[in-house]
Amino acid sequence: MSESPQTLEARIAAVEAIVARLESDRLELEEALRLFEAGVGQLREVERVIRAAELRVERLIAEADGSVVAEPVDGAGP
Amino acid sequence: MSGDLFGRSGRDARARPAAPGPGGQRGVPRPRVLTVSAAASLAKDVLESGMPPLWIEGEVTGWKRSASGHCYFTLRDRTAQLRSVMFRLEAQQLPADPGEGMEVRAFGTLTIFEKRGDFQFVVRELEASGAGGLWRVALERLHRRLEAEGLLDARRKRPLPRFPQVVGVVTSPVGAALQDILRVVAARAPWTRIVLSPTRVQGEGAGAEVARALALFARRRLADVIIVGRGGGSAEDLWAFNEEIVVRAIAASPVPVISAVGHEIDLTLSDLVADFSAPTPSAAAEKAVPDRDAVSRHLGGLRERLALSLRRSVEARRQSASWAGDRLRAGAGRFLARRRERAGMLAGKLDALSPLAALRRGFAVPLGADGTVLRGKADFEPAMPFDLRVADGSVPCRVEDRPESGP
Repeated sequence: MSESPQTLEARIAAVEAIVARLESDRLELEEALRLFEAGVGQLREVERVIRAAELRVERLIAEADGSVVAEPVDGAGP
Repeated sequence: MSGDLFGRSGRDARARPAAPGPGGQRGVPRPRVLTVSAAASLAKDVLESGMPPLWIEGEVTGWKRSASGHCYFTLRDRTAQLRSVMFRLEAQQLPADPGEGMEVRAFGTLTIFEKRGDFQFVVRELEASGAGGLWRVALERLHRRLEAEGLLDARRKRPLPRFPQVVGVVTSPVGAALQDILRVVAARAPWTRIVLSPTRVQGEGAGAEVARALALFARRRLADVIIVGRGGGSAEDLWAFNEEIVVRAIAASPVPVISAVGHEIDLTLSDLVADFSAPTPSAAAEKAVPDRDAVSRHLGGLRERLALSLRRSVEARRQSASWAGDRLRAGAGRFLARRRERAGMLAGKLDALSPLAALRRGFAVPLGADGTVLRGKADFEPAMPFDLRVADGSVPCRVEDRPESGP
């Protein structure tokens, strides 16, 4: 789980599915173009996530009321 | 005090009890009479003070754990036996109940259970003499049980996510294991979020903490994959990862679990039940997240395939269009040929009907100077020139002057 609606895994899997469809199915040209654009968009997003990110370390804390929160750990990291 | 008592009772023992009745006579020291309780208590004191706590080895028989949690058994060798008890508090610490006939070493106090007058050994610690002792026994029993339940089945192992965004870590917040994991993930997949659920990883209660941490992750699906473990240590240090509560928490986790219990020889039960077992925390981190270069290559490959397949798609359309053109041209050609054929046939028919055909059969047509057909006698005048049209041309002619003789 993450705060973005789509995980990296889901995005990459979506691109792979698009490639598979494009490679195997006989599609209408419009459909092929639409898929291509969707795929490129997803790839761009994945690359943005991968480039921008810096390792974040959080600590899981169970609250008294039974809820669980993750809060950033200061100075953690290598 | 008991020494004192012993001394006195020793002296007392030499004196015969005075008869009859109570009350001393003639200054003879009155013999001392003890109650049963006092005697038992005395014997108990003597025994306990005379024999400090000690180790005794022997074979366990008739081990029984009562409802109250106390354990009763007999220690024996070839020629003697000793009733023994291990009270709940101490018995709780045992990793497993010893089996019938198991050779053990027990540490405790020889005493007398006054209520029943039993001579017994109150055991505080108990260990099996064999390699690994009771830990080994506990491990093997749990191992068999888990196996019977199918929890060690390789088919239960789930695939790990290829690109986890959140890696859960259950380990000590101060151990080297955490630092190793952070270092590896930062180098390979710095976009990852690491969520640590800090626990102790050894000592009393560590297993319960680890199990609780796993359950926390499970409850909210707070991670895509979980690493649980610690750096290397002795077999005792790693024991928490053989505890049933930990093993079952791993098995029950809805999120795939990588075990990382630094060990050189034996796998822990946690390793056996985890979806992947890594030999060290660093190796676990490497398994958990992909390497950034590999991800980039994969993405590049996908990008190329996307472009290529689109190009193919367009190319296929062009090809189709071209085939359609070919088919159109071919169709049109066939259409024309049919028309041409039909036209030829019609021409033949026309020809049959043509006056030229009559001419070819020997008929001739007289044509006047203006080209009109001379159809009857009235069209001819004496000496009038006209053309006689025959099959291969026309012949100039002239009407004779001789007047017409009768109709």
